[in-house]
Amino acid sequence: MGIFALIIINKAGGLIYNRTFSEGLNQLNTNDYLVLAGTFHGVHAITARLNPIKEPPSPPSSGGSPNRAEPASGLEVMETENFRLQCFNTLTGTKFLLFTDTMQSNVDGTMRKIYELYADYVMKNPFYQLEMPVRCDMFERKLNSYIREINSSR
Amino acid sequence: MPVQVYSFYIFDRHTECIYSKLWISPPRPPSLTGRSAADLPPSSTSTGGLTSPPGPHDPRRGGGVVAATNENVARAEQQQARRTRRAGDDAKLIFGTVFSLRNMTRKLGGDDDAFISFRTGQYKMHYYETLTNLRFAMLTEPGAPSMRNVLHQIYINLWVEYVVKNPLSPVEHKGGEGVRNEMFELGLDRFIRGLM
Repeated sequence: MGIFALIIINKAGGLIYNRTFSEGLNQLNTNDYLVLAGTFHGVHAITARLNPIKEPPSPPSSGGSPNRAEPASGLEVMETENFRLQCFNTLTGTKFLLFTDTMQSNVDGTMRKIYELYADYVMKNPFYQLEMPVRCDMFERKLNSYIREINSSR
Repeated sequence: MPVQVYSFYIFDRHTECIYSKLWISPPRPPSLTGRSAADLPPSSTSTGGLTSPPGPHDPRRGGGVVAATNENVARAEQQQARRTRRAGDDAKLIFGTVFSLRNMTRKLGGDDDAFISFRTGQYKMHYYETLTNLRFAMLTEPGAPSMRNVLHQIYINLWVEYVVKNPLSPVEHKGGEGVRNEMFELGLDRFIRGLM
């Protein structure tokens, strides 16, 4: 129970990291995970455009617009009967998908910590190539111990 | 607790949108399109088109008020057309979204799992699917509680009562036929307004 899985999607919609921490979700094969990442990327873009309140974006005025509206966020949380999906979209377009059980609390904090780990152990790794699959031992180790701590504290 | 409901959609098992309704306040006057009223100084409403940035320091303002107004009328018509088209497009986008998310949910959570809702920074979408693959989707304000029971109530008390039990209603609702009856529309409107 607790936190089920983490998926990281790069800004082009490609799957760059995928790890299961505990039972609770169906196991998919790699191909299905790739399809899922691509689908989610598309759905996220659509949900950002579906804002029922605002007018369609106005064409950019000359000399830059001083009062630019907050960009639409796209899907943030999805709830189903069996799990909850939290999505964190970084400013550069990388998406972190965290699958938790429906009762899990403080998912925002967990997400933040995972992003910190990513920044520290993936982005600061000189051998990591941007937008490519994440294969960093330190990230793996720190993430595993952090998630295990959360999952065992319940 | 009042809940702001933005829109409501029904899709049949052939993926067609057979009913949609919006409860959003009417669009702003065309002279203010693209910007909120609060951003514009009152004097610049007629010239505050999309091409000239509003503000007291803009040197190009002042001349060409009539031309700008005509332009605004044309633009308002365009916007109206765009809005109608957008409503149809929105229904398609919403269907695509719920369809993809539902499949994703089924794949990950098992065949008995059901997708309930998702939230963005601007709105929250609630979803309910019947065993006959009739799909109900509702967009509300982001802070709304779960509206699954509301959608279920709409299905039981309005859809079944006024559409399914209507002897004149066709089995398939092509283009919304049979759904757009007075009792259903009135009941739905009253029910939703009761929530707001």
